Amino acid sequence: MVFSSITFIYYFLPIVILIYYITPKKYRNLILLISSLIFYFWGEPKYGILMIISIISMYIHGILIEKFKKTKYSKLPVITGVLLSIGILFYFKYFDFLIENINLWLNKKIDTLGIVLPIGISFYTFQMISYLIDVYNKKAKAQKNIIKLATYIALFPQLIAGPIVRYSDIEKQLDNREYSIEKFAKGIRRFIIGLSKKVLLANIYGELTNAFLEYNDGTVLFYWLYGLANMMQIYFDFSGYSDMAIGLGKMLGFEFLENFNYPYIAKSITEFWRRWHISLSTFFRDYVYIPLGGNRVSKIKWVRNILIVWTLTGLWHGAAYNFIIWGVMFGILLILEKTILKNIIEKMPNFLKHIYVLLIVMISFVIFNGESGNEIIERIIGLFGINVTGILSNTSIYYLQSYLVILIIGIIGCTNLIKEVSERVNKKFNKISNILEIFILFSLLILCSAYIIDGSFNPFLYFRF
Amino acid sequence: MSDKQKYIVEMVIFLFIILGIFFLNIIKKDEDISLAERRKLEKMPDISIDKILSGKFSDDFENYSSDQFVFRDNLRKIKNIFHLNVLKQKDVNGYFIEDEVIYKIEYPLKEYSILNASNKMNQIKDKYLNDTNKIYYSIIPDKSYFLKDNKKTHLLLDYDKLITIMNENLKDFNYINLFETLEIEDYYKTDTHWKQENLLKVAEKLSKEMNFYIDNNYEIKSAGDFLGVYYSQLGILGIKDELKYVVNDSIKNSVVYNVEKDKEGSVYNKEELTSLDKYNFFLSGPTPLLKITNNISDNQKKLIVFRDSFGSSLIPLLISGYKEIYVVDTRYISINLLGNYIDFNNSDVLFIYSTLLINQSSGLK
Repeated sequence: MVFSSITFIYYFLPIVILIYYITPKKYRNLILLISSLIFYFWGEPKYGILMIISIISMYIHGILIEKFKKTKYSKLPVITGVLLSIGILFYFKYFDFLIENINLWLNKKIDTLGIVLPIGISFYTFQMISYLIDVYNKKAKAQKNIIKLATYIALFPQLIAGPIVRYSDIEKQLDNREYSIEKFAKGIRRFIIGLSKKVLLANIYGELTNAFLEYNDGTVLFYWLYGLANMMQIYFDFSGYSDMAIGLGKMLGFEFLENFNYPYIAKSITEFWRRWHISLSTFFRDYVYIPLGGNRVSKIKWVRNILIVWTLTGLWHGAAYNFIIWGVMFGILLILEKTILKNIIEKMPNFLKHIYVLLIVMISFVIFNGESGNEIIERIIGLFGINVTGILSNTSIYYLQSYLVILIIGIIGCTNLIKEVSERVNKKFNKISNILEIFILFSLLILCSAYIIDGSFNPFLYFRF
Repeated sequence: MSDKQKYIVEMVIFLFIILGIFFLNIIKKDEDISLAERRKLEKMPDISIDKILSGKFSDDFENYSSDQFVFRDNLRKIKNIFHLNVLKQKDVNGYFIEDEVIYKIEYPLKEYSILNASNKMNQIKDKYLNDTNKIYYSIIPDKSYFLKDNKKTHLLLDYDKLITIMNENLKDFNYINLFETLEIEDYYKTDTHWKQENLLKVAEKLSKEMNFYIDNNYEIKSAGDFLGVYYSQLGILGIKDELKYVVNDSIKNSVVYNVEKDKEGSVYNKEELTSLDKYNFFLSGPTPLLKITNNISDNQKKLIVFRDSFGSSLIPLLISGYKEIYVVDTRYISINLLGNYIDFNNSDVLFIYSTLLINQSSGLK
């Protein structure tokens, strides 16, 4: 089930909220678990059982880690538990990719298995790993109550598209959550903002990228429209989903950490990755980069560590070469920013820093969404006027005119301008701004419902994550 | 309003909306059809283990919940108004409004489709037609053609190229050019089609080129308001049309035999005025093969028209010139079967298709 659907907003959510709040607190985790399983089974009926098996395995391993803690076998359960989780992920996500590569590089003709990727597996596998390692590192206690542990993994707000919630961050909330009208209302606000980002912005940019795929006439303007729409679609879709997750969490009494922090206002790629998909980058930092030695090693090993982390980051997004190239590209850029480019970037005026980041990110997402090498190259060089049919065309002008307002709204929305202005207005004219906020919020909810109902383009981008 | 009050109001409104709509959706009786969208609506899907496990139930339920949503029509209007007037998008799902006329984008030009259409026409000629036939063809421009001189940027077909390809491939056919005969005012504002009451000039042009008689004694009647297929897609504004029709003695005294249904009727079908598509009033709408017999004709001339839906309103105006008119829509009947129903010898043959069909000709059998 996706959040931006009638089924979720007007069937699932009201039922869950109603039952959740009339149930005594001690049974609320059970209600959440049951509703989360229904949520997952609704969209992924076949692989629901896989998630349940994984949860049971993790539960057992967590207890074993604590049991063997002071013995010479202390590492064994954490190794088996993590390997099992990664093994399942590897099989479903990367096995066919491996066969394709064996065929390609070793000239074999092994049939691929046509394995379908279970929705959300990359997210919940990482949560499981974080749990096992946190228990091993004594950052958290092994959870003896399987319902609580299963609730943590299956929690529907963040199950299929993150953020990746760490067990140590949520352990106490599984036992005791604070509920308040303020928290609930802030959750509503966050949910509606996220829904609007997804439905009113990302989906419309998606229509523009689709128009490019259908009608691309090779003009520079069309390549730029594509580049811009593509990077905005990915951002608003993903951050919108995170907003909805955080908002739903609040409605249910949880506090999840932020996952995006206006990444497109970053002045370096290093800063961009501190603001983009924060839960993933901090996961890799804490569970891969630092255990490998981080930057407290020789320069060669440091370079190795960064490249390992970013190859894995690329692979996490999908089993294909474009994702690996995408990840490695960022790895190399981060190395360069910390070495050769460090002084150059620091001396650059701010607007150039922004242009540098946005151009790199735009190109990176062209790579990210490309189907083939030729296609990717054609689109990247097209941005720079190479191998194009012209600068403008009737078709590209039509799409520029048609999407100009929504592109401007999106560009403003990528910055923290609206947040700052609304905070200032709220400080000065608190009463009026509160009424205005209510009006805007529910207008947005009605508009989102209208767009969803009209059967507009509503893709689910995380099927390969 | 204090922050505390705001939180309470937000919570109450949100719960009121989601719970209220949930209960309204449960209580509301499911509807069979949407008059506004002119289509059948999804019904509550049957539940079975197989359907649940295959994911079909959840997919069907998504469609059902959206189709049967309370306030659906109003929400669609809100969306379209917001899309066109606030976001200033130039079209909604390919539909747009220009000077109170609703258009649909037909773009880009599909050369393979134009070749396919002309090949199908040539196949008919090779299979059935000979020296005893006079063969004509004509192309009906869709509404967007009339935006070619509009100052705003639109996505338009390359009409010149379309005509050139057709002419190059239909050398044995006499081409009758209607592009300069028609104007945007000859089309409904809310529908794809042209207005019958404005087609007398088209009938005259055809009669001159094809040499048949046109009865100029006619009366124009009204069949009431008409909201066409484009209106239902956009569902906004007070734009509407009037469905008018032309009556003359030949039309009154003709019998229309529907070969598929084995049923006789009249040129205009008043039952269709209450149907989802009132345009079906003309010759009862889409059907594979009709035979129109003009009982007051003083000649024995025969016309065979290969047409799409635009032909439904035009063909009644040609009846006065012929004893028999066969109306063929090869989207619904195979070319190979035509010989069983039509004797092609000594007849005029007219192929008249809209640019919409020529550019989307995969449906031609």
